[in-house]
Amino acid sequence: MNIDPQGLNTIPAISIRNLTKVYPIPFRRERVVAVKDLSLDVLPGQVYGLLGPNGSGKSTAMKIVLGLISPTSGQTQIFGRDSSEVESREDVGFLPENPYFYKYLTGAETLHFFGKVCGLGGAKLRTKCAELLKLVGLENAASRRLGGYSKGMLQRIGLAQALVQDPRLLVLDEPTAGVDPAGSREIRDLILDFKARGITVLLCSHLLGQVQEICDRIGILYHGVLVREGKLEDLVSIENQTELILENSSPAVLEQVRALVEKSGGRVVETRKPQTTLESFFLDVTSGRRTAEEPPHVRRKE
Amino acid sequence: MDTPHKIFSPARLWAIASNTLLELVRLKVFYFLLLFALLIIGSSAFMLDFKFQEQFQVLKDMSLGSMSIFSWLLAVLATAMLLPKEIEDRTLYTILAKPVPRLEYILGKLLGILALLFVSILLMSVMFVIALYIKQQAVLTDAVRGLPPEQTADVIRGVKASAFTVSLIPCVAMIYIKSALLASFTLLASTFATSSIFTIIVSFVVYFIGHVQGIARESLLASPNASALSKVFLAFVSLLFPDLRLLNLTDDVVAGNAISSAIFLKTAGLGLSYFCVYTLAAYLIFAFKEL
Amino acid sequence: MVKPLAAVFSMLLLFGAAKLPFEHRLEQEDRAAFFHGAKLSLGLRDQVGQLGFLAALSGFRSLVADFLWIEAHTAWEGTQWGRMALLFNNVTTLQPRVVMFWDMAAWHMAYNASVAAMQDPKQPRLALRLRAQREYFELGKDFLIRGIENNPDRYLLYERLGIVERDKFGDHCAASRRFGEAAAIRGAPTYEKRFMAYELSHCPGHEREAYERLLALYKTGRREWLPTLLERLEYLQKALNIPAAQRVNIPEKKL
Repeated sequence: MNIDPQGLNTIPAISIRNLTKVYPIPFRRERVVAVKDLSLDVLPGQVYGLLGPNGSGKSTAMKIVLGLISPTSGQTQIFGRDSSEVESREDVGFLPENPYFYKYLTGAETLHFFGKVCGLGGAKLRTKCAELLKLVGLENAASRRLGGYSKGMLQRIGLAQALVQDPRLLVLDEPTAGVDPAGSREIRDLILDFKARGITVLLCSHLLGQVQEICDRIGILYHGVLVREGKLEDLVSIENQTELILENSSPAVLEQVRALVEKSGGRVVETRKPQTTLESFFLDVTSGRRTAEEPPHVRRKE
Repeated sequence: MDTPHKIFSPARLWAIASNTLLELVRLKVFYFLLLFALLIIGSSAFMLDFKFQEQFQVLKDMSLGSMSIFSWLLAVLATAMLLPKEIEDRTLYTILAKPVPRLEYILGKLLGILALLFVSILLMSVMFVIALYIKQQAVLTDAVRGLPPEQTADVIRGVKASAFTVSLIPCVAMIYIKSALLASFTLLASTFATSSIFTIIVSFVVYFIGHVQGIARESLLASPNASALSKVFLAFVSLLFPDLRLLNLTDDVVAGNAISSAIFLKTAGLGLSYFCVYTLAAYLIFAFKEL
Repeated sequence: MVKPLAAVFSMLLLFGAAKLPFEHRLEQEDRAAFFHGAKLSLGLRDQVGQLGFLAALSGFRSLVADFLWIEAHTAWEGTQWGRMALLFNNVTTLQPRVVMFWDMAAWHMAYNASVAAMQDPKQPRLALRLRAQREYFELGKDFLIRGIENNPDRYLLYERLGIVERDKFGDHCAASRRFGEAAAIRGAPTYEKRFMAYELSHCPGHEREAYERLLALYKTGRREWLPTLLERLEYLQKALNIPAAQRVNIPEKKL
């Protein structure tokens, strides 16, 4: 396992060392090994994607980090504090999968409640709640009961409550599952915004395309074992190939480029028109800004 | 972090408690039961035409009986669904992922229930007092009709003494303490039970066994020559189950027995100690529960 | 998960052991104050039915008693004396500390059922009617005696028993004893002493004692100068040949 050292002075946001979690099955000799000897670090400011099929131990690992479950062996820490301590959760905000919250509370009341639970109060809490509602784009729905929220809105209020105590770390479990493309886009933009502010994000998702877009590092769990881990670019780049995108180049120029490449021993693998993502196209059409006839533009990760 | 972490924060506790109260107050079963109890208590003021002692007795029996049934039912039913619902909705994870000690969480939930029970019993007591007053006035009018003046004062005093006895206060207090005990036990059961129904059944079973625990205990203490098997069985019942019959003062208050403060304090103390032990036990199991 | 459960179980056992003596002592104290007096036997279960028994067991004894009481009055409307006696038995078993239950049960038996038995048109033989009447007297008396066992601290049932002895059994000596017991209870009305003295004056062999008691009452003041007291005092003065100097002067018109 490669634990990426970025200087011995940086305390990792999440530090997992030799984590093992075994569940005994009652009345049987066998046990289920949910997580086996897992070690990884999430450094401050990163967006880390924890991936794996169902039953691979992602949720278990996450819950152990959050102190909801205790490990069989090994250690997990948040910013240097052991997960078993209540104080370690001062720095972390959690958005579980498919959360329900309290249907009878309004958006504002929900945030208020979670703020109180975090120990905040008074005018400071009120300003914070207003701020967060604006950040997640729910200020118009703040006085509506959560029972009337769409899935996307629920996820957004979930993000807001995760942020209420200004955490340095966010743990998000399937933040865009079941959300329509527009809402999904907004959530992903928010995550990028968090990253820009220096908040560390640990993300679990099945939607690999989205993960690819926003994560810096990923770890893949399979049957409780970390089988691959590292920087996203390094992992998914095809080593020996380069992508070159040209604009306003005539077929003659393309031929020259091809000849040059082949002369130096390489190979032009494919020539085609770059495509926009279906998602961008869909969003552009449904947002009403463009019609299907207009030329698409490519959406790129900076 | 601006706010330093407090090991025990009353504000946090209160946030969870008031949220629980809000959640419980929306339960339809709560309104239904409360309305039913209030109706019974209210209507008992206008019931039946017996001699005045009987009238007060029946009124008190029905009112205190309704209060008891309602608060005990509510204590069990409301508490039984608290934890399972939060686990199912995953709100439990969101809350415990915050820096909230599990002790505060469970205390907060319990406090919410206690607040609900308190408000309900208060409402029912007010209704009860009103009903009793209406009845008293009706009886007084009847009783002094056609009486010579020198006997009136005696009769009035007699009627009033029959209606509002001081012992009603410890009686209602014990109804509350008993329901608090049932709530704490149900909470304990819900920490390791697999479903709400199971919790409810366990609580009701304990409720019934608790009322015969006294018989088991006295048998155990009175017969040292009993067989080993029956001793073990009696010991099991006596040690593990609460004596709920001891905590019931209604029958005796209605019969006109005066409750001395010594007996009330001891009875209340017993009930409260059960409450504390069950709450502690619930916390211990919950603290180590894998979520 | 097993370890906390085991710890909790042991904690409950330990607490159980600690509270056991306390509960026992509290139960004793309760009994001394006459609480929880009801003896709920399985025989009662047959009478009140399973639901009623369960309700009685679970702390709603008085409610069940009330329902049975109402049923007894329905039986009264149908003059079903036997059924009434049965129901009264159950009611007093459930709530032995309600004096009224014993009182009314005795009254129904000794005063109502007995009269009905005496006037029973279905029974032509007088001797048998008299016997039935007597049985109801005894039934009423029995209720009062059992009532007194459960409520020795209350005066009313002693007084009622005195009245039954006086009116139904004609036993003035027994009646006097009972009125005396009533008078001894704290908070008993003052007339109990008078009634005791009255009955004593009718009890052969106790005239002297009766005279002394009546005289003492007379001397306490005008409040006691009721017609019956004056009449009995005058009678005893004559019967005991009290010397004229010690006699109380009772004017004819007061008698």
